Amino acid sequence: MTAADTATVKEVPSFCYNCVAGPDLMTVRVENGVATRIDPCHAAETIHPGLGRVCVKAFGLVQKTYNPHRVLTPMKRTNPRKGRGEDPGFVPISWDEALDTIAARLNDIRARGLLDEAGLPRVAATFGHGGTPQSYMGSFPAFLFAWGAVDYSFGSGQGVKCTHSEHLYGEFWHRGFTVCADTVHTRYIISCGFNAEVSGGVCAVRRHADARIRGVKRVQVEPHLSATGACSAEWVPIRPKTDPAFLLSLVHTILFEHERTVLDLPFLRDRTASPYLVGPDGYYLRDPDSGRPLVWDEATGAPVPFDTDGVRPILEGRAIVAEAVTRGPDEEHRPYHNVEARTAFTAMADSVSGYTADWAAKVCDIPAETIRRIAREYLDSACVGETIEIEGETLPFRPVAVTLGKTVNNGWGAYECCWARTMLATLVGALEVPGGTLGTTVRINRPHENRLMSVKPGEDGFMNANFNPTGRNSWLSKPGGRNAHRSLVPIVGNGPWAQALGPTHLAWMFAKDAPKEWPQPPLPEIWFAFRTNPAISFWNTAELSNAMARMPFIVAFAYTYDETNHMADILLPDATDLESTQLIRIGGTKFVEQHWAHSGVALRAPAIPPRGEARDFTWISTELARRAGLLERYNAALNKGAAGAPLKGEGYDFSLSTGEVHDVDTIWNAVCKAATAELSGGAEVRDLDWFKQHGHYVVPFKREDWYLYPTMVRLGLRFELPYQERLLRTGEELGRRLHEHDIHWWDSQLDEYVAIPQWHDVPERWAQSVRDQGGDPDDYPLWGITTKSMQYTTGNNAGIPLMNEVAGNMRGHGAVILNATTAARLGIKAGDRVEVRSPVSVTTGRAEPVQGCRPDTVVLPGQWDHWKTPYAKDLAFPSLNTVIPMSLALTDATGSGSDVVRVSVRKVGAA
Amino acid sequence: MTRYVMIADLRRCVGCQTCTAACKEGNGTPPGVQWRRVLDLEAGTYPNVNRVFVPVGCQHCAHPPCLEVCPSTATRQRPDGIVTVDYTLCIGCSYCIMACPYDARSLVGSEAGFAFGEQPTEAEAARAEGKSIGVATKCTFCAGRIDAGTARGLVPGQDPEATPLCVNNCISGALSFGDIDDAFGPVASLLAENKSFRMHESEGTEPGFYYIWDKGML
Amino acid sequence: MNRSLAAPHQRNWDLRAAGNFVFGGTGAGLIVTAALAAAAAAAPFRLPLAIGLFSVMIGLSLVWLEIGKPWRALNVFFHPHTSWMTRESIVAGALIPIGLIAVVLASATAALAAAALACGFLFCQAHILRAARGIPAWRQKEIVPFILATGLAEGSGLYLLAGAQTLPWLALALFAGLLREGAWLAYRAGLARTPGSARSLGIFDTQAGRLARGAQLVALVSIAMTPLLAGFPGIALLLACTGGALAALAGWGLKALLITRAAFTRPVAVPVIPVRGSGGGPLPR
Repeated sequence: MTAADTATVKEVPSFCYNCVAGPDLMTVRVENGVATRIDPCHAAETIHPGLGRVCVKAFGLVQKTYNPHRVLTPMKRTNPRKGRGEDPGFVPISWDEALDTIAARLNDIRARGLLDEAGLPRVAATFGHGGTPQSYMGSFPAFLFAWGAVDYSFGSGQGVKCTHSEHLYGEFWHRGFTVCADTVHTRYIISCGFNAEVSGGVCAVRRHADARIRGVKRVQVEPHLSATGACSAEWVPIRPKTDPAFLLSLVHTILFEHERTVLDLPFLRDRTASPYLVGPDGYYLRDPDSGRPLVWDEATGAPVPFDTDGVRPILEGRAIVAEAVTRGPDEEHRPYHNVEARTAFTAMADSVSGYTADWAAKVCDIPAETIRRIAREYLDSACVGETIEIEGETLPFRPVAVTLGKTVNNGWGAYECCWARTMLATLVGALEVPGGTLGTTVRINRPHENRLMSVKPGEDGFMNANFNPTGRNSWLSKPGGRNAHRSLVPIVGNGPWAQALGPTHLAWMFAKDAPKEWPQPPLPEIWFAFRTNPAISFWNTAELSNAMARMPFIVAFAYTYDETNHMADILLPDATDLESTQLIRIGGTKFVEQHWAHSGVALRAPAIPPRGEARDFTWISTELARRAGLLERYNAALNKGAAGAPLKGEGYDFSLSTGEVHDVDTIWNAVCKAATAELSGGAEVRDLDWFKQHGHYVVPFKREDWYLYPTMVRLGLRFELPYQERLLRTGEELGRRLHEHDIHWWDSQLDEYVAIPQWHDVPERWAQSVRDQGGDPDDYPLWGITTKSMQYTTGNNAGIPLMNEVAGNMRGHGAVILNATTAARLGIKAGDRVEVRSPVSVTTGRAEPVQGCRPDTVVLPGQWDHWKTPYAKDLAFPSLNTVIPMSLALTDATGSGSDVVRVSVRKVGAA
Repeated sequence: MTRYVMIADLRRCVGCQTCTAACKEGNGTPPGVQWRRVLDLEAGTYPNVNRVFVPVGCQHCAHPPCLEVCPSTATRQRPDGIVTVDYTLCIGCSYCIMACPYDARSLVGSEAGFAFGEQPTEAEAARAEGKSIGVATKCTFCAGRIDAGTARGLVPGQDPEATPLCVNNCISGALSFGDIDDAFGPVASLLAENKSFRMHESEGTEPGFYYIWDKGML
Repeated sequence: MNRSLAAPHQRNWDLRAAGNFVFGGTGAGLIVTAALAAAAAAAPFRLPLAIGLFSVMIGLSLVWLEIGKPWRALNVFFHPHTSWMTRESIVAGALIPIGLIAVVLASATAALAAAALACGFLFCQAHILRAARGIPAWRQKEIVPFILATGLAEGSGLYLLAGAQTLPWLALALFAGLLREGAWLAYRAGLARTPGSARSLGIFDTQAGRLARGAQLVALVSIAMTPLLAGFPGIALLLACTGGALAALAGWGLKALLITRAAFTRPVAVPVIPVRGSGGGPLPR
């Protein structure tokens, strides 16, 4: 009989939401009080698209819990000087001292006002990847809500490490903050660098695997053969940052080398702006009386407002319109008489007429015939005219999709890619229908839980959009946040997520040097940081750390020492994944490919007591609220739903009394009961004890609600494609506002506001960046890019040995991947130490020559700028973040940049 | 008769190493010892390149070379085809490691250490019984789980509690497990419906590990 | 598979394991040669036989130092049905006492019996490698004659240092050396025909490999020249001893390389590229 046989074993329900592609359900096995392993949640096999399994990252949680490097008591800094070279001199303190110190500062701020003299919040907070820290910070959102104004603009990679342009344009066009293929139904996927097999989470991995067996063809277009490329039917190695040319040429090929019958003409006519007439000034021709955009009615042979009863608009062509008016920037209405108009569709065709496959072949280094074949295969698979029944509802069936990966859909060229991708779907009616290209969640619009409900009728037959104002009197001339998102990025809006989606690197850049036209923004007086390490996860990390060191008071929720909390004043050890309690929403449609046929809630129950002096985040939040005199507001926020579910609803009321301190279990017991009451319409109420036993509670979610199309039909709305009149107008207005204030450093970003995206020499921007840094592009002949690995992406597990061990089985882990022929030309052998140099800095690593990489490209997987994080700092891995400049010139109009840099590579040591 | 086999569908595998991590955690193997792992292989020359992810580990051969060479009879074969190592007999000569055509066996001494250095974490201490130090170790198809499960009437490969951890945790559905002698069982059906190969078949080892690579009969 | 070429090197048998093949092989060869001397009653045999036995014991001791559970070493005898390692141990278990009897009693009969066992011991050693199907460089069938021949070449070479530089022993050493040379060339040729063996072959072409080969050739020439220079006893003695020593050294070098550095594991073989989606599958209805 072994020790294992006699062990007291219990299995504790939990979830993994390390990356946005979750949450996924799991079970923690606890033997004799020690968490020993992660198991699937077999009970969720029938409701979870990934069969109740979690990915490799979750298996690091046991080592994460017992990591001897953990910070296990509150600490305070004793060295007032901050900087990489300074020893913080952290010494243990009691929770009372730590919380009282923070509360004293909070109370002082509250007494002086939440905003500083510049009108900026004195308190700032930064959380890590994709909002997932929310799933681990207990009731802290209630504390933040109770506090009031908080600046979220100090990013930890947002805009450059996410699929940023897709977030903004995807949500604008089809409520697709994240966009994916309807993998469950699709037959053909053009994937420009979308790394589904690595960062798509277990739902995507399982669905794509099933789709492969079914016979889906996925064409992976990317410079380096990723794991996703490996699992695809075809790899098309494309020159970095030329994806817009490739996608625009696909649009061209479809429009100019195929009959119109391949298109979904009714969809284009009825569900898009294709028939809207465009005037000579680029704006829609509108009915002079109603101001509504005009279409040319086939039946009457005359222009009529688009929503005229019985209208049958022509899709393409030119016509003379007798009387019309356009609505330009700043409500300038321009009348036209007998003016030549063309439909938006024709405007698009005119616009892409030059983007032939032969042209793109030269730009992208892809054979023209390959481009033509891919267009042909896409059309052949589109099933235009066919339908499918989903749970009794008949919907269009268009099993073709185009997906975009990071670096393709952020930074310069991303707008073009997002537009072309969405147009490729639109042309064959494959947008938001079964088999097609789908959005899965919203973040700029609300409610976050149901993207369909976020659709409201807006202007001109389109759904509503919540742009930041650009009018003469409404534009925010003095930024309200440190990254100026409301002043510079209209499309990001001003919702709770907007600030963190704005150009978050601008906050760091402006912290050093604000534009002369704007006052230097004071640094926040308190900065809270949780599950975030911008000091390694952004660009030009050395410079960023310097900015961080100037922050006067940093409170870091600390797991181990790391590069960011090295600058902190107080370290608070929160109970980590296996030690804490939280209920979160699962299912419905969430990020990436998390669309389920169920929705509900899942509990993370503590598998073991917190180690050392670590405390549950909810306890920390409550104590902070109490000590900062915010208890009533905090409890009220909890009652309103700040912990994930309103505690009072129709037919139930589990509200907490606002005047007293509630312990962790009391709070989550109320949330459990309220959430289940809400989900079941009051029919069922499950308490915390029930969840500790059963883990999750779900109700069916209509699969039809994966698709936006039925909602658009029901509301009689059109997708705002192909023509971008609204963006054109917004850009012109923004330009006027900026120029009125003598701001010209955003001018190149203004160029992006065009009605139909045009190709410009995107790669040249990076060559110019080299010149701007004082270098010669010829000295940096290679493209440096990065790629993710499932073992690490957003896992906060760089310090976990198990992850390093298993990641080592994959090629390129901790190495510099480069083409074998290029390596031979440079005299580099496998295992040699090489340096990767850009004009700003240099990083070194082990060379791994492969065939599956373009000869002009080197790949540095992951983010490895660690110099403080225990274990990770000793790995000596290269990091692209070190060598990428943080640059306004490489920031696009959405405030986003790409993980791309021109580099040179040379051998510095033998294997 | 019962003959347990594993199947890896190479069309599905994405190289995520979830099986590797689940195996390591579940079996408490020391750092560097991987009974299950996924190889990341590349074939061809640019631009005509393929990458293939290949789960490997003990193939539980019908004619195991490791068993043949083992001088101590520590390596044995169960009637259900599972090849085992008796840690109380093994002398740690590593000969089985040399004999295995699949590089599936490991032997580490006390130098193995622990995840964070010389001291075990509590989780490691809960697992490490010292029996597997200095002896040959390898994938057991989680024989303990199979035995415990079948004793309760569960079916390996279908009931998670009687199924190897790597199979339970495989997120792409690449790994399957079961009794190939059950002619109408899922494993036999999967093999019947798809093209598969076994590695180094010319060695005559008759591995209990199949690799599916396409649909249809071979 | 490009990456399959980079199959890892075996990580478990180091110089201690190689020592068994070095000392065991040489010892066995020396025992055989000494037994021939005993049978011919023409040359000293007790000391060489004792050294041979000692050498075999050193080899086995080195293995004992290598194994993970040395205090369970006797379990090595449990599997004579198929394990060449068990058989080697059993043969060694007989060889040592019988050899000692021959030494103590100066018995030619016992010496011949020991020689037969020594041949068996060598045979077992050769098949230990041959049965290692995880190591293509050992799996090569030509490894068996090579291990046998080199053991004899090493032993007969060393025997020349025992003062037996007369023609028969020179002839034996030369014959064994040539045999080994032939076996080595056959082994290399066989390896060259085996796919994926380039890295192993490359190890034999390194400086260490070339040195061992050079020593072998110099040994052959030296031994062959010795009788021709019989008129110069000093030089002849030097040549014979040099040749004998180099014959042993050459074998040791080659075996050390073979066990420790040329022993790459069998590369993974994936004969087909999996079909990952095709575009032609049935419609998902």
